[in-house]
Amino acid sequence: MLYFLTRSPLSTAGLVITIFYVLLAIFGPIIVGGNPEFMREVLYYNGQYIYNTPLPPQPAFPFGTTYGGFDIFNGVVKGARIDLEVSALVVFSGALIGSVLGAIAGYVGGTVSDVIMRITDIFLSIPFIVLAVVLLLVLGKTLTSMVEALVIVWWPFYTRLVRGQVLTAREHKYVEASVAAGASPFRTVLRHILPNSIYPIYVQVSLDFGNVILTLASLDFLGFGFAGQNLAEWGNIIGLATAGGGGVETITSYWWTILIPGLVLLILVVSLNILGDGIRDVTDPRSRM
Amino acid sequence: MKLYVYVIRRLILLIPVILGVTVITFILSHADIGLLIAGYEGKTRSLAARLIVIHELHLNGPVYVQFFYYFTNLFTGKWGYLSPTEPVDAGTPVFTEFLRRFPPTAELSIIATIFVIALGLPLGVLSGVKKDRGVDHATRLAAMVGVSIPTFWIGLLILILIGPKGPLPHFLQVTTEGQIDFLKYGFTSSGTLQPWVAVSGASGISRPTGFMLVDTLLYGDVPAFLDALEHVIWPALVVALTSFGVITRFMRSSMLETLGLDYIRTARSKGLPEKIVIKKHARRNAYGATTTVMGLFFAGLLSGVTVTEYVFGWPGMGQWLYTAAARADLVSVMATTFVFTIVIVIANLIVDLIYSYLDPRVRLD
Repeated sequence: MLYFLTRSPLSTAGLVITIFYVLLAIFGPIIVGGNPEFMREVLYYNGQYIYNTPLPPQPAFPFGTTYGGFDIFNGVVKGARIDLEVSALVVFSGALIGSVLGAIAGYVGGTVSDVIMRITDIFLSIPFIVLAVVLLLVLGKTLTSMVEALVIVWWPFYTRLVRGQVLTAREHKYVEASVAAGASPFRTVLRHILPNSIYPIYVQVSLDFGNVILTLASLDFLGFGFAGQNLAEWGNIIGLATAGGGGVETITSYWWTILIPGLVLLILVVSLNILGDGIRDVTDPRSRM
Repeated sequence: MKLYVYVIRRLILLIPVILGVTVITFILSHADIGLLIAGYEGKTRSLAARLIVIHELHLNGPVYVQFFYYFTNLFTGKWGYLSPTEPVDAGTPVFTEFLRRFPPTAELSIIATIFVIALGLPLGVLSGVKKDRGVDHATRLAAMVGVSIPTFWIGLLILILIGPKGPLPHFLQVTTEGQIDFLKYGFTSSGTLQPWVAVSGASGISRPTGFMLVDTLLYGDVPAFLDALEHVIWPALVVALTSFGVITRFMRSSMLETLGLDYIRTARSKGLPEKIVIKKHARRNAYGATTTVMGLFFAGLLSGVTVTEYVFGWPGMGQWLYTAAARADLVSVMATTFVFTIVIVIANLIVDLIYSYLDPRVRLD
């Protein structure tokens, strides 16, 4: 698959940038040092108290500083780990829970399927950000509850997807053969149906990495993250830009506090989406057309 | 199946969904009983008030009794009261606040949807027709960036762009906070009070619809209408930018699928001009298929609207949701959740009905 993926220059670029971010997530916090979860705070620079005056990009602070005297470069590098960690946790748990439920709904059918799918429909009718905010209010503001809330938001997409896949796959002859050979439903689903309907799940997983990161950043921007304002998460860093008060006028003067962390976030999400599209093209040539 | 039978069937199927939605909001709002009771106490915080609330909501009864009273309260507009920590409107019934907050959100969403339909759909068609050409690549890239861009970030960037110190020429700059500059039209400017100035029911002046664009026109106040338009355009653009990608991509792929079908070849081989083939034969069918993803699109759009409202200070449901959540005002948060969900359920229903009208085959099963 890697071979086919690298045939397209766009997918290759997506892959390379994604790998760069993954490496950044692993080694970045070690290189810049300090607590891997929190940004470096510089209150005095050149004898000046800079808590309320963000400094523009300069050699000492490549990306400048933001309100609270936080070093944006430091925060952005450490943010890679938190964002990728949370999105990996959410996407994999969401995909696992959703796929199991979807497989049950698709294979068993009948009332079980109806009940599961109605619940899925209800979850899908609540705007995901709204649902996440409600869950965070109920669960509390910690990193664990953030992950839990996002998993609760994310599983229904997979249930719907996998059910559709299983419904198509179970009509095939090899499933009939497996049942006729006396395999248990569990074995039939696990060994025969799921492996044959796994590619759309891969695609969805790769696309969802970006979506989860976006949602996480939005929630942190809105102030529903955990552990206060020094969390090194990209949305939180952008949120700090508006923390000074003063509305439009102040954010206009300190454009780098918004532009730079946002670009870092955007580049990763675009690469992840390009990569997801690339994987889809490779695994399902029909969609290329 | 006749169309009306299908409509009735879909309406009946709506009941379990709405019931399910209320079950979920019930579970969530009863997860923290303390917050729930506080939400129904209103301005007074006392043991007596708390006991009255517990009695009224039957919180000492079994769960199904609690659910029954929750359900009745929900559908009779007894949604609790705004938190006393709310700086301006402490103790206002949540339902009243909802009536005030809903029109701005609806206005913003409708304008954004118009943008998406007017720009996103034609782009998708164009991209499908001109496959693998420059236009196609540009559109696909734009759609890709559109779905990847963080709503709050592009909102802030646009604020910087159009703000007072932004790089845009002066005549394009606007006061960007909130809906409209009330001071400009209030008692201060000309000494005459424009009728729609009443924001929250002040001095008995009525706002017929709550929609700024409609109200200003109803009162024949053109400058105010233009001002309102100026304020809604930018947030609507932000919402449209971040949500058009889904529709454009789907429209492109269903265009491609339709263009590969036999009847298109027939139409072409009988000598119809390409323009007619695309306009009359292909595009219509592709529209039909695109309607099916509108449901998910609306859910995404409303998520975008809530964030945009927060960024632009738009006085709608989304901003209410975030300020309420920050103050742990549970009843307000649950009210917005319920309203958003019901809106999406109804939007899905309408989309389904339109689809069944466009494509009678779906009524067969």
